[in-house]
Amino acid sequence: MRVIKRQEPLGVGGSCLVLFTALALSLLLSSFLLYLGGTSPIQGMKVLFQGAFGSRWALEDSVLKAIPIFLCALGVAVAFRLKIWNIGAEGQFALGAIGATWIALSFPDWPKIVLIPAMICLAMVAGGLWGLIPAILRQKLRTNEIIVTLMMNYIAILILDYLVYGVWKDPTSFGFPMTPTFSEQAIVGKIGGTAINWGLTHCLILGILFWIFFRFTRTGFEIKASGDNVRAARYAGLPYDRLVMLVMVLSGALAGWAGFLEASATVNRLQPSIMVGYGYTAIVVAWLARLHPLSIGIASILLAGLRVGVESLQLDLQVPAAFGGILEGLILLTVLAGGLFTHYRLVFGRK
Amino acid sequence: MRVWKALLAVMLLGVAGTAYGADKEMKVGFVYVSPIGDAGYSYSHDVGRQAVEAMPGVTTSYVEAVPEGPDSERVILNMARKGFDVIFATSFGYMDPMLKVAKQFPDTTFMHCSGFKMADNMGNYFGRMYQPRYLSGMLAGAMTKGNVLGYVAAFPIPEVIRGINAFTLGARSVNPDAIVRVVWTKTWYDPATEKEAAKSLLDVGADVIAQHQDSPGPQEAAQEKGVYSVGYNSNMAAFAPKAHLTAPVWNWGPYYTKVVEEVRNGTWKPEAAWPGMAEGVVDLAPFGPMVPQDLQDKVNAEKAAIIAGTQKIFVGPIKDQKGEVKIAEGVVATDAELLGMTWFVEGVVGTTE
Amino acid sequence: MTAEIIIALLAATVQSGTPILYATLGEIFTEKSGVLNLGVEGAMILGALTGFIVARTTGSPALGFFAAGLVGSLATAIHGVVCLWFQGNQVVSGLALTILGVGLANYLGSGYVGMSAPGFNPLTIPGLADLPAIGPIFFQHDLLVYLSYLIPPLMWLFFARTRFGLGMRAAGEYPAAATAAGLNVVAYRWLGILVGGFFMGLGGAYLSLAYTHLWTTNLTAGRGWIAVALVIFAFWRPGRAVFGAYLFGGIMAMQLRLQASGTQVPSSILLMLPYVLTVFVLVLSSWRKGTSDQPAALGINIEPAD
Repeated sequence: MRVIKRQEPLGVGGSCLVLFTALALSLLLSSFLLYLGGTSPIQGMKVLFQGAFGSRWALEDSVLKAIPIFLCALGVAVAFRLKIWNIGAEGQFALGAIGATWIALSFPDWPKIVLIPAMICLAMVAGGLWGLIPAILRQKLRTNEIIVTLMMNYIAILILDYLVYGVWKDPTSFGFPMTPTFSEQAIVGKIGGTAINWGLTHCLILGILFWIFFRFTRTGFEIKASGDNVRAARYAGLPYDRLVMLVMVLSGALAGWAGFLEASATVNRLQPSIMVGYGYTAIVVAWLARLHPLSIGIASILLAGLRVGVESLQLDLQVPAAFGGILEGLILLTVLAGGLFTHYRLVFGRK
Repeated sequence: MRVWKALLAVMLLGVAGTAYGADKEMKVGFVYVSPIGDAGYSYSHDVGRQAVEAMPGVTTSYVEAVPEGPDSERVILNMARKGFDVIFATSFGYMDPMLKVAKQFPDTTFMHCSGFKMADNMGNYFGRMYQPRYLSGMLAGAMTKGNVLGYVAAFPIPEVIRGINAFTLGARSVNPDAIVRVVWTKTWYDPATEKEAAKSLLDVGADVIAQHQDSPGPQEAAQEKGVYSVGYNSNMAAFAPKAHLTAPVWNWGPYYTKVVEEVRNGTWKPEAAWPGMAEGVVDLAPFGPMVPQDLQDKVNAEKAAIIAGTQKIFVGPIKDQKGEVKIAEGVVATDAELLGMTWFVEGVVGTTE
Repeated sequence: MTAEIIIALLAATVQSGTPILYATLGEIFTEKSGVLNLGVEGAMILGALTGFIVARTTGSPALGFFAAGLVGSLATAIHGVVCLWFQGNQVVSGLALTILGVGLANYLGSGYVGMSAPGFNPLTIPGLADLPAIGPIFFQHDLLVYLSYLIPPLMWLFFARTRFGLGMRAAGEYPAAATAAGLNVVAYRWLGILVGGFFMGLGGAYLSLAYTHLWTTNLTAGRGWIAVALVIFAFWRPGRAVFGAYLFGGIMAMQLRLQASGTQVPSSILLMLPYVLTVFVLVLSSWRKGTSDQPAALGINIEPAD
């Protein structure tokens, strides 16, 4: 059996087939694990899907959970266009939440039309700053951004802890670490009677802007070109250093927006449990979706649905919570392996 | 004829009575904030759940590692939609989400642990863990030789602070020179960090290690150094047989089965319940073999006083770390004051942040 | 801060840094061959669980330790399959391995929480342990710590002086030229992955067999990620990895002792210290040296030959 490079990369039809096969394989492997644990695999898969997408409420919950994942993934995708891995989305998310909270707590009586944009602004600034620092260290001081962003994730969470255990602690919450509930004007409301908040429209707008930016603007083009070949880009006079910083600021700002939405619309306050790992899932999503906003949207809903469905698995079949991680990891590995077939094919037999 | 009618009426009533009193099928759900594999807090709730599962005609289910906030709201909502009769949510941050769901499902009973909000169909509850903590403090204060007690604590939230305070009060009631040094690990279950925290306390001279952590890491540290320790959540003697003096333990089974039974009978009422040693919800694990008999008797006597209600522990004068009187002479601290406690008593060395 | 406390702190530093050191050395071994493996956390935690279960079942901590290494290799072998055979992106594959590994370990380990296993206990080395200061700091630990003293110099020797070591470095720096010279680059990368994974498993097992004798969910608590960071911090050199691991472990141990001494600094701030200091020291070092020590072909897959 040999591996031969294709003349042309696999088309859309073939790629979809590979993707579905990969997903099916990961489901098969995890079903086997369920079986080993004493649960019926078929029942397990049924509960998983129904829990994720099988009812109106499940769909709403999955979409709701997809919103912060989508925005963070968009940010990761922006950075990755320049071949920079932004592992720091988690920390930028936290800073965004902190920034939005500061505004919400300092000016609770401002009218909504002013307060919400102000919160978004400061969330973006805070998140962007948290993305800028590793960028500066990378370009000016030649420090590897993987470590810096990783460390800054931990630091950001600790800053959040420091604030909610200290100066921002709600006096009426019996000493538990959380800020007071945001005022009505600081909360992004829900769409109609659904569980989904207006952050969904934010996602749509930002997704479209993302697409326009990379398709039609000059900077977008510069970024794509620099990502493909740094040396050639520098040679051609493209401002690589500034592009890196711009891209990390945008990346952080988007993650910060997600943090703002989570604090404002979903939790209505700031508390440590706002951090559930969206920043890391976003990396998975951004990569699975090959950096296209529409695909990112779909992948976000899929992975959010996975998280929601796993809860049903726990409730109905007593499957441990860790199962979600197993499935997520398997999906990623199988899709990764399937990627081989985009550029290569297997040939059996001798030459 | 009248006699027959009367007899018929009595028979019918009897039949109706038994049908009404017959055991109803109950579905009870539990929401945990950490995996039950944390061997601690959630684990003890789950042991309580198993007691409920053993009740005839009752099935239980649980979801673990549910973050506070919207995730918990969704989980509780799903349970309610699936027709659960009673739902127990075991973390403070579940309070507001549970209240929101309670309003939508008036026929379901909601029980929130460690909170303070209620509704017609929602009650809250917690356990007076500070009572056995006080007793364990007495043991620690009596057994220490260097008068430095070490406390490995997770997060500076009121229940932890309250536990440290009770421990300190107990220790100083038998040994006024004892001080308690506190180290925050900022994690509920990371055995390596917890053990390291215990070691850092041992390095500054502590010779009894207590903990508000879920793993036996600190116990191992104490055993290795050859000093004493106080466990938590469950009897940790197996991990440190030479060190383990005792442990304040949870015992949710009786309380949970009581609540479920009340809901089944229709006698349940919403209340802010805070049972303690008297009701058996919290207890002290058996003494280790190194505890001298006279000390055991002393602690047992105090335990009886707590159960009888004469020893209320947080009775003034109680000063804080700065020396200010926080609870006046003769005054008993109210439940609200205890539930929101964010200051350390005199004798505790450490920050509350 | 008396001398006694400082010595105790340094001794704690060595212990606290040891699991991270094992994992960092493993990752260095892998990255030198040109493969970036972000799955350290996954390999570590699977190793921790395996070591615990095997030690508990067989009663032999040594067997558990060894088995942990094997499972670590098995875990990283997945990364090898996906990247070396299926040309998968190395960053994403490593991430996936961590997600899968942590999930798998927590899932399979749920029945073992609250139990203890026979483990390694401190073994004082006669003579050396009595040296002033040096004795308690370095020679009053368990066997696994002593083992970790041997690995960095051996690894250095391997890379600097042996043929296999040079071959691996070639695989990581100039794979095309190495292939042209007749070296089997893919085989060297497999070596890097498997041996690296072995050490990562050992690092995890240290946590469940020596540091503590326990297993709970998330026992490794992110130490694998620290190891990834420390590899870069160490400029891919085993000797400097020791410095990095002890620095990080030491600051962790120190902030706990600061608390125990009664400082009024909020614990959140103290907990930031290890991370802040790691970045700070890294910035200082990189500023002078840049990233020239990175294996040139790190993270880039070799295209299958026709």
